[in-house]
Amino acid sequence: MSDEALQAERGVSLWRDAWLRLRRNRLAVAGGVTLILLCVLALLTPWIAPYDYRAQDLALGASPPSAAHWLGTDTLGRDLLTHVLWGGRISLAVGFVATGVALLIGVLYGTIAGYAGGRVDAVMMRLVDILYALPFMIFIILLMVIFGRNLVLLFLAIGAVEWLTMARIVRGQVQTLKQQEFIEAAVSLGLSRWTIIRRHLIPNTLGPVIVYTTLTIPSVMLLEAFLSFLGLGIQPPASSWGLLISYGAETMEEYPWLLIFPGVALSITLFSLNFLGDGLRDALDPRIAKD
Amino acid sequence: MSFRKIHALLVLGLSCALALSACGGGETRVEAGDREQILHWGNGAEPQELDPHIVTGVPEHHIIIALLEGLVLKDPATLEIIPGVAERWEISADGLIYTFHLRADARWSNGDPVTAGDFAWSWRRALTPSLGNLYAYMYFPIRNAEAFATGKIDDFDQVGVEVLDEHTLRVTLNHPTPYFLQLLDHYSMFPVHRATLEKHGDPFQRGSDWTRAGNFVGNGPFVLAEWQLNKVVAVDKNPGYWDAERVRLNGIRYYPVENVSTEERMFRAGQLHVTGSIPPDKIAVYRKESPELLRTEPYLGNYFYRFNLDVPQLADPRVRRALAMSIDREQIVEHVTQGGQIPAYAFTPPDTLGYTAPPAFAHDPEAARALLAEAGYPGGQGFPPTELLYNTSEGHRKLAVAIQQMWKRELGIEITLNNQDWKVYLDSVNNGNYQIARAGWIGDYVDPNSFLDMWVTDGGNNRTGWSDPRYDQLVLECAPRAPDRERRYRCFQEAEALLMEAMPIIPVYFATRNYLTRPSVRGMPPNLLGYPLFKQIHLQAAD
Repeated sequence: MSDEALQAERGVSLWRDAWLRLRRNRLAVAGGVTLILLCVLALLTPWIAPYDYRAQDLALGASPPSAAHWLGTDTLGRDLLTHVLWGGRISLAVGFVATGVALLIGVLYGTIAGYAGGRVDAVMMRLVDILYALPFMIFIILLMVIFGRNLVLLFLAIGAVEWLTMARIVRGQVQTLKQQEFIEAAVSLGLSRWTIIRRHLIPNTLGPVIVYTTLTIPSVMLLEAFLSFLGLGIQPPASSWGLLISYGAETMEEYPWLLIFPGVALSITLFSLNFLGDGLRDALDPRIAKD
Repeated sequence: MSFRKIHALLVLGLSCALALSACGGGETRVEAGDREQILHWGNGAEPQELDPHIVTGVPEHHIIIALLEGLVLKDPATLEIIPGVAERWEISADGLIYTFHLRADARWSNGDPVTAGDFAWSWRRALTPSLGNLYAYMYFPIRNAEAFATGKIDDFDQVGVEVLDEHTLRVTLNHPTPYFLQLLDHYSMFPVHRATLEKHGDPFQRGSDWTRAGNFVGNGPFVLAEWQLNKVVAVDKNPGYWDAERVRLNGIRYYPVENVSTEERMFRAGQLHVTGSIPPDKIAVYRKESPELLRTEPYLGNYFYRFNLDVPQLADPRVRRALAMSIDREQIVEHVTQGGQIPAYAFTPPDTLGYTAPPAFAHDPEAARALLAEAGYPGGQGFPPTELLYNTSEGHRKLAVAIQQMWKRELGIEITLNNQDWKVYLDSVNNGNYQIARAGWIGDYVDPNSFLDMWVTDGGNNRTGWSDPRYDQLVLECAPRAPDRERRYRCFQEAEALLMEAMPIIPVYFATRNYLTRPSVRGMPPNLLGYPLFKQIHLQAAD
């Protein structure tokens, strides 16, 4: 190995390396760009939405896409594009925030349990088992009934339920990693536990975590739709993609556009997430040989 | 693609689906039902209970009339009274004393005879305050029934119900009551089996499990076979029923489908013979493509919003009136409900046995704004956030969203929406745990009284907290004592004017009934009350 090569190697951190590899994955980049675009659209919705989301034109009723209403209108004569944009705000926010909460709790909890092992691990994982056994819908409904309907609480409640699987995955991952030489090396070098967890364990679990995250986001969006349908989540006239789809499905034979457009919006988001997730997993996996 | 083309394609798709469900892939549930005489009935919601002295809803009604039978029945074609458990009856010349002769062969499903004593005991139970029967006021034409129900007297012997012998029952009324026989066919006056109730806990308290399958003992043409929560209530033919020879169905399956789109899909897939309703958007399609499946019938009912008068901002009648006047009902019936409903500006449906209340207000957003400003909320400023509650159903949601927006646009008022499952919704409304709540009322019998006596002070189905002694006097004293129909209706007119002036409720529209029926369902003629007489229904597949 020449000096030059050694220097180049030192300059490339895990993150920078991942970024370089991610950039080469076209699908992942396309997914990422689409997601950013969607988030920007969601943020700008109050300014770019063509109509007020409450505005109704009962006499117009459900109309197919036209120049005035690009995506058509729903049965109350409300502009669908406006609703898809506003719905996207809620769906994306629920998806990201709730998953973020789940990620934070799940990764920390799983790592600690897996790394500590022994009795601590047993107690922590039995707690997870107990929470698993609780019918989570009832748990969320109870939270909603006690604290009232509230968007932030909805995010937290969903996140608080979704972290369990994450914790299990991370724990399993950490248990295998713990046996490996580089951790032993780190221990013998005298690194503190917290540093080992932060610098060595968590980055190494990222692969499966990211894959699972990309799966969690869509399931959280669907969960939100379900809760809203039960009357515990978002209430009209506000809407989310999940709600738009569930309403659209009811009239899909008469007014297919009410199902198609929100469905397309959700699908694009989910595809982007999956492509990006795949790309990130490949890019972040330190075991894949550097080429 | 033009709307017309899309529409044509959809219609094509729909008819393909219909054709496929008719001939492809084995026998459907409906076809099997036609063969076995099992009626599959879309029942709207999971029944709150099957106890006739507790329930108040239409889904419960459809099940209970199959399981229990009162003294009389109604002919479903004409709504004339026909004999039930009572074979015949005499009415005294002054219209106050009714003597019922019970048929000797009427039996409970466990074989016990149905006696006059069963009726007296059941009515006592229905009136006992601890049971909390919301329909207790149905008994109030009977002498001293009101005093007993309100706890003023404890002795049931003073109530005008007398057992002359095992098969003779004498009822004494306060005033001549032209619709009294009709009341007897209402589930609140059905008999229950004393020994069964006593076996399963305190008969005078709620929460007994005597209505569970296996426990239930009834006297109707059907017996309860199975009750699977949120899935199905199954009833089978009762071989011991006195008129069992004429009962042609072998059973009925009631499905609690709250979502009308799901219900319509189940109907199309051959899983239901009869639906409770139809999604508004599908009415036009059916009208055009398969009119023989769609039934549109006049219905003695209305749709309204209840106010909880304990909510400070709703306690002001000006606010309630402003809310009522700012709803554009013409637009609602034409574009939202789309089923031929009539905009309502009074509570009692027009021409209820010749009674029509004059419109009490008009759609007038200008005046509504002025009223709201007078009440201290100019332009809706400072109006506290208020919640509108409805039971989960897309029809109710659609209407609620439309009205929410009308109030926002015309009055500047923010209303939030909340939906609850039927049982929870009933509970919330009964306990006054709501601010504004959606409601519908279907006449229990054809008489304006069925719409007006519910609003008397503390009436079980009032649930708004509204009370006006003058109104009580008109409905409970003036009308029953009126010597002829004209003067009786004058009392009602005046009462209804008071009700509309105070407006504890907002009428929205008068109902029509739109639902789907398989052609194989016979013996179910249309009537104003949506009343099926199951013992006359039979299934005959067209060849």
